[in-house]
Amino acid sequence: MSPAKSDNSVPKSRLLEFYEQMLLVREAENRLSKLFADGEVPGFIHLSVGQEAVCVGVTSALKREDTLASNHRGHGHALSKGVELNSFFLEIMGKEEGICGGRGGSMHVADMSVGMLGANGIVGAGIPLAVGSALAHQVRENGAIAAAFFGDGALAEGVLHESFNLAALWKLPILFVCENNGWSEFSPTDRQFGANVRELAGVFGIPSDYVDGDDVLDVHDAASDLVTAIRAGEGPRVLECVTHRVRGHFEGDSQKYRAEDEMNSLSNHDPIAKLESVISKRRIPKKEVAAIREKIDAKINAAVEAGRAGNAPDFDRAQADVYTAVRGV
Amino acid sequence: MAEVRFGKAVNMALDDALAADPTVILFGEDVAEAGGPFGVTRGLLEKYGDRRVRDTPISEAAIVGAAVGAAMSGLKPIVEIMFMDFVAIAMDAMVNQAAKARFMFGGQCSVPMVLRTPHGGGVNAGPQHSQCLEAWFAHIPGLKVVVPSNPSDANRLLRAAIADPDPIVFVENKAMYSLKGEFDESSEPIEIGKAYVARAGNDVTIVSYGAAVNTALQAADKLASRNISVEVVDLRSIQPWDEEAVLASLSRTHRLVVLHEAVTAFGVGAEIVARMSDIGFDELDAPIKRVGAPFMPTPFAKSLESQYLPNAEDVIAAVEQVLA
Amino acid sequence: MSHVTNLNMPKLGLTMTEGTISEWMISPGASFKKDDVVLVVETEKIANEIEAPADGVLHDILVEAGETVAVGAPLANWDVGAAVMFEAAVEGEDAAATTPEPAKEIAAATTSIEVTKITARGVESKRIIATPLARRIARQNDIDLADISGSGPKGRIKAEDVHAAIAGGTSRAAQSSGVTVTSPDVLPDRRAATSYETAAARRLTEAKRDTPHFYLSTEVDAAALLALRQQLNADNEGLRISVNHLIIAAVARALQENETANCVWRDGEIMTYGTTDIGMAVNTEKGLFAPVLKNIGNFGIASIAEAARELAERARSGQLSSDDLSGGAATISNAGMFDVTYMGSIINPGQSSILGVGSIREIFRPDEDGQPELKQEMGLVLSCDHRIFDGVSGLTFLNSIKANLEKPLRLLVN
Repeated sequence: MSPAKSDNSVPKSRLLEFYEQMLLVREAENRLSKLFADGEVPGFIHLSVGQEAVCVGVTSALKREDTLASNHRGHGHALSKGVELNSFFLEIMGKEEGICGGRGGSMHVADMSVGMLGANGIVGAGIPLAVGSALAHQVRENGAIAAAFFGDGALAEGVLHESFNLAALWKLPILFVCENNGWSEFSPTDRQFGANVRELAGVFGIPSDYVDGDDVLDVHDAASDLVTAIRAGEGPRVLECVTHRVRGHFEGDSQKYRAEDEMNSLSNHDPIAKLESVISKRRIPKKEVAAIREKIDAKINAAVEAGRAGNAPDFDRAQADVYTAVRGV
Repeated sequence: MAEVRFGKAVNMALDDALAADPTVILFGEDVAEAGGPFGVTRGLLEKYGDRRVRDTPISEAAIVGAAVGAAMSGLKPIVEIMFMDFVAIAMDAMVNQAAKARFMFGGQCSVPMVLRTPHGGGVNAGPQHSQCLEAWFAHIPGLKVVVPSNPSDANRLLRAAIADPDPIVFVENKAMYSLKGEFDESSEPIEIGKAYVARAGNDVTIVSYGAAVNTALQAADKLASRNISVEVVDLRSIQPWDEEAVLASLSRTHRLVVLHEAVTAFGVGAEIVARMSDIGFDELDAPIKRVGAPFMPTPFAKSLESQYLPNAEDVIAAVEQVLA
Repeated sequence: MSHVTNLNMPKLGLTMTEGTISEWMISPGASFKKDDVVLVVETEKIANEIEAPADGVLHDILVEAGETVAVGAPLANWDVGAAVMFEAAVEGEDAAATTPEPAKEIAAATTSIEVTKITARGVESKRIIATPLARRIARQNDIDLADISGSGPKGRIKAEDVHAAIAGGTSRAAQSSGVTVTSPDVLPDRRAATSYETAAARRLTEAKRDTPHFYLSTEVDAAALLALRQQLNADNEGLRISVNHLIIAAVARALQENETANCVWRDGEIMTYGTTDIGMAVNTEKGLFAPVLKNIGNFGIASIAEAARELAERARSGQLSSDDLSGGAATISNAGMFDVTYMGSIINPGQSSILGVGSIREIFRPDEDGQPELKQEMGLVLSCDHRIFDGVSGLTFLNSIKANLEKPLRLLVN
């Protein structure tokens, strides 16, 4: 684990920036939860409430031209990589003006302009995509790197093992980020995977790090160190972030399979509360924090209104976009 | 015009693409140092270096998954799956990722990749190295499937496939790699989705693709000596497939036989027959016949496999039936 | 246990597509023994007695005498026991394409009630089996498909059948335009063509259309032939030899000398007969038949005469079998008894030539000195299938016949 940084070493502006980003993810998902319950968001949504420090801590170490392949629990990855909030809500609410034209929804939010290669409905499937993206960066020598976000539920997927191997063999510029929340969908991961991700990385000779995934500052520092090595051409790195999933596998999952004391202890691990206590220790005026909260509320209210005002997608336009239109046709 | 072997024609298209476009890269199992299991990629590593021509571990899922990610990040990857049977391991990347990226991301990106893979029997490779699985891919919206029938087409279609912005499964019949054919190096790429009338005729149309086109031509030769005039339509690509060309031919001959090496049941032929019985209904003067492999795995023994594979006699029997 | 199945219209020859019931020999409800004649079916060629395959009982008659139905159509239901039930069920399956619903009757064959019910529906409305293209062409030309018999599998009407019907004037449009040029009160007399006439019309149309005919003609000096006949008949009181018998012998010998002439075009292949078989046109009350004299290569003239006479007799008395009407590459159509110089005939379907024989006429021809000499000549026209013959092989065959007729003594030497 990287050495704990003195909270005082982090500039105030950085703290508030992390706070604002994490709060954006949290409040966006809380609102999605409500919209889902109210029937305004169709389909499945998988919330990452409790895991906001990972996406914010890692993406803050990335550049805009770096690419990121995500998974089904990917709202935080998308928003912190820079997907615009209104088009994000429009998409998840199934509207034509959504970032993917209402064709993907929550599990497929993507924005190529910010290097967000897409959330993914198939566990583990985004990992080789990130490997391929890293291959492109390497071949094009553009200085960018790729990041693959996956949960501990993907550890038993063979394609993860293949991807570690390929990335190591080819020394690809990729950061593998394992968000270890202990749960593989509805089952505890310790009953699904016999090793752990760092041991697995070690087998392939990939250096790794391990952080408290509820501490955005730790995540950011660890990610920054690994990204520096990757950019230096040292090949892939693995970052395991131990974190906590507050909501169910998907909205509507009552999580009867989780022990009561585990559920009760979740509030002790809230990454936003942790950062708030840091902020409070730094004597940052409460009204600055309150202003951020108001700003986020206003942005989300506006995004929801934009989502509601969006149009139903046009079927013919969608059907015409299965293949790239041939020139002249 | 020179005579070129099928495998060499593919090699020349790869060579041209690597030379013309620095974003084209090639990777797969044993394609670099060894020059490919069938020698198709021979010489390319030496010419273009190990950054762009790479051997991969035996990891089909990662190979194809990485190709999709690379294609979404500015490259034009060409990957090889050593035998088409092995794509079963890589289906997620093709079916759930490559095929859908354009659509589900609202047209933000396309996935300009080519997956080359050999299919087909005739070399006693047995049940797991002989299958013709192209129908799997033709069934998936977002994928294109191209199956050339001769060296010239292999080159010209592959160049078109590499230039195409969408993911393409490019199927090469392994029994054809050593087949020689005329090839004019100055010829243009062939537009994907357009069929070709390989032989004109009046009495019956045989629609086919890939190596089976040659079986159809053999049958047509034999039938010509009996005054039966057969038109052979080479689809060249089965997704998209040229239903206008097939309908036009059917409208001339009014009789249709569909031939492919793949198992008949639920195959490409089923789609062609269904479509023609719809849009071509009033043109039909006989039931449409399908000729393909029986519903069983490809057997190993020479005696079994030769009976398994559709041949010219099977085609002739089908033609006789539609002419009855 | 009862095993009621359908008795279907049998297929009695390779080309048979429909048949007419001449007569029911067993009444509904009556029982019969194996080999009893149950009914008589008249085809384009012949009347056939249908015998019972086993002892049994005839139940309902579905098609009355005089009606014409397609091959495979149910004619009656009967109980011929379990022994033949399977066979009958298979035939029922075969009939599926020509009648409505009968596919189900196979499954239903176990109970007589369902069989009767379903079959009865089948008879009410006969479903016409035609290809989509045939239907389209018929629609565009205002042709009623019910008027057409199909030449395809299971009697399916194909485009070419509709084209043939158009050529033959089955078009309602053609019929109505015919009516408009006729005075309304002098309507032409009309009757339905008989099964024989319909079949003959179709076969002749097909033959003329599908066989590429060409014609070669010549004259034969018949003096020696007539002299020989006279001698033969003077010698033998019991058996009169006709010119026709000598012509048969001449053609038989010519067939042996010309292998090409013994070949036929069959489904894209060329078939050569190993025996010398010759068709012989016989006029009967029912129309023209061309039964075939079989294997007469080694026959002497007397045997030929006897065989020909016997065959003609059977043709006139309606006793020809399907075998009598099949085979042979060539037919002789002798119109010598009428007044005709040259007769170009249509080749019988399945054969490759027909020799039209004209009447013997007296004619002056210049002799070696250029002086008129009275001759007795017979005009021959050989119609050839160009898929088998070319001009040279056709002429060789015709000249071979001519030589045999002009030097007929050789016909007496085997």
